[in-house]
Amino acid sequence: MIALARKTLIYEWRRFLPATLAVAFSGMLLLVQLALVLGIFESASTYITRSSADLWAGYPGTQSIDLGRPISRDVEMRLLMDPAVARVEPFQWVDGDWHGPVDLGSVSVFISGIDPSPRGLAFADVIPPALRLLLQEPGAVIVDRADLPKLGIGVGDRAILNGVRVRLVGTATGLRALGGVNIVTSLATARRLNQGVDDPGQVAYYLIKLKQPAAAAAVARRLDPQSAHRRYAVWTAQDFSARTVRYWLFETGAGLGVVFMSAVVFLVGAVITSQTLMGAVAGSVTEYATLNALGASYAALSRVVMEQATWIGTLGLLLGGVLSALVLAVAVGQDVPVALSPLGVLVCAGLVMAIALVSGLMAVRTLRRADPARLLR
Amino acid sequence: MSAMTTAIRADRVAKAFLSGKVRTQVLDGLSIELMSAELTLISGPSGCGKSTLLAILSGLERPDAGRVEALGERVWELDRAGLQRFRLQHLGFVFQGFNLFPALTALEQVMLPLGYLGLGHAAARQRAEAALDEVDLAHRRHLRPAELSGGEKQRVAIARALAKQPQLFFADEPTSALDARSGQTVIDILHRIARSHGATVLCVSHDPRLVTHADRVLRMEDGRILSDQRNPAAGPPLAEESSP
Ligand SMILES: Nc1ncnc2c1ncn2[C@@H]1O[C@H](COP(=O)(O)OP(=O)(O)O)[C@@H](O)[C@H]1O
Ligand SMILES: [Mg+2]
Repeated sequence: MIALARKTLIYEWRRFLPATLAVAFSGMLLLVQLALVLGIFESASTYITRSSADLWAGYPGTQSIDLGRPISRDVEMRLLMDPAVARVEPFQWVDGDWHGPVDLGSVSVFISGIDPSPRGLAFADVIPPALRLLLQEPGAVIVDRADLPKLGIGVGDRAILNGVRVRLVGTATGLRALGGVNIVTSLATARRLNQGVDDPGQVAYYLIKLKQPAAAAAVARRLDPQSAHRRYAVWTAQDFSARTVRYWLFETGAGLGVVFMSAVVFLVGAVITSQTLMGAVAGSVTEYATLNALGASYAALSRVVMEQATWIGTLGLLLGGVLSALVLAVAVGQDVPVALSPLGVLVCAGLVMAIALVSGLMAVRTLRRADPARLLR
Repeated sequence: MSAMTTAIRADRVAKAFLSGKVRTQVLDGLSIELMSAELTLISGPSGCGKSTLLAILSGLERPDAGRVEALGERVWELDRAGLQRFRLQHLGFVFQGFNLFPALTALEQVMLPLGYLGLGHAAARQRAEAALDEVDLAHRRHLRPAELSGGEKQRVAIARALAKQPQLFFADEPTSALDARSGQTVIDILHRIARSHGATVLCVSHDPRLVTHADRVLRMEDGRILSDQRNPAAGPPLAEESSP
């Protein structure tokens, strides 16, 4: 069989280029907007993803890490009793009010109190052991490098946090939080900052390290009290982080925004692509009509058009992938938060292919004009 | 060579077109018989209904009334798929426009319909090369339409139809877009196809120069056949012409 679709595509590549570009740019737009939104909202779960805990224990029904509420101190003992548990570490969560040395007014911040020991789980990926040890100094804090201007402070400077004098001992990258600045201190410092509560030592979360991380899901199920009146719950880090991202996506309406934008991109991509394909079919309509007269069925001709659409989709997908990679690389280089999940990439790729195929189906309708009787006029 | 038999018989076919509110009766009860192994030319002025008749005989346009029997098959009683299959298996077409795919070489143009016939690549290639050879284009088989002259393009179009080895071969104004010399070559090829393949070749044209090249000439005017003449002198005898 002569590969009519492919040969035409190669020979008349100029004619098909707009469609391929439309598909490629649609793909890039879909992927990049998803990466940006996910990137922004992944920072909502920074605390979870950048810590090396396998499980988290917290207040039942907590939708997002920033909504944590204190849980009972004896949870720690109960968790430690399980033979699968290697380590349990408190994680404090306090709202803060920051006054820097430069008067920028007060800045609303989140305070994370973590275990400053080198084996600490919280922010293990972001804060190296040496930096961590510096937190043992009372009043020592660490912030994300990118938040320095907002806080009006440099390393070594002092500031007032919740009325207590603190000192910036270092910076890290990857501590940025959504909707506020994240200040990391030791558990001891956090207790001093947690004012106006009955028990300042009561923490919002316990981080759990397992002897066998692969068993996380099963152990989480076992450690969770499972009753309706439980006073704490246990989740895998993955579940908790996904729940946090989902909460932010929908709480802020951003999730709907993504869906809406995707629909717009899809529509624009499909309109341009189908117009190009229709033009290509219309341009060859007498040739198609002749083939039809010679016995090629309408279905066979439709297959040629759909094959062209599939090629355009495939080429657009590849080109769009390269474009997206470039744009995302630039974004990463500029500290723009971007993130992608395999599922997200797959959905985008599916949408891109759908743009091409829907356009193909629209172009197939143009084939109706390929009526051989018209060749006689 | 196969003896001449009736290949197509049209019985009182009628066709009218409605353009706006004006109804034009193009054909009104026309009957005609076409023989195999000869080139029949329907000649007449533009607009007299030649193409309409060709379309009805070849299963491209349904008549309002009447019956068409081709190769023993009542064409207009077939369903859509049946008609499609009939055209695929038995019919060849050449039109005024060459309608070649710009992207394909002459050889690929000719091979393309053979794929729909279910021929494998090697068999299709062999047949296509033979057909191109028959229209004297073997040496140009790797060229695309943009590199061919009008006459050559029409010959590729003929080869494309011929490679299917159709019993019925229809040509609508095949020479109208060509200069006199190329036109003569084309009509001679059509003539040869009728003689050497025993095919029924129907050519319709307003070009009076073709008259001397046909075995049989029907003069048409206003949807009616005015005269039906055999032309014993048409073309050289077969033996002289196609000795290998
Ligand atoms: N699809 C159509 N719609 C309307 N009128 C048509 C159509 N096809 C042909 N006609 C008319 O029918 C008449 C005969 O046309 P045609 O068979 O093409 O003539 P010829 O091929 O002899 O030039 C012309 O007047 C033409 O305008
Ligand atoms: Mg005509």
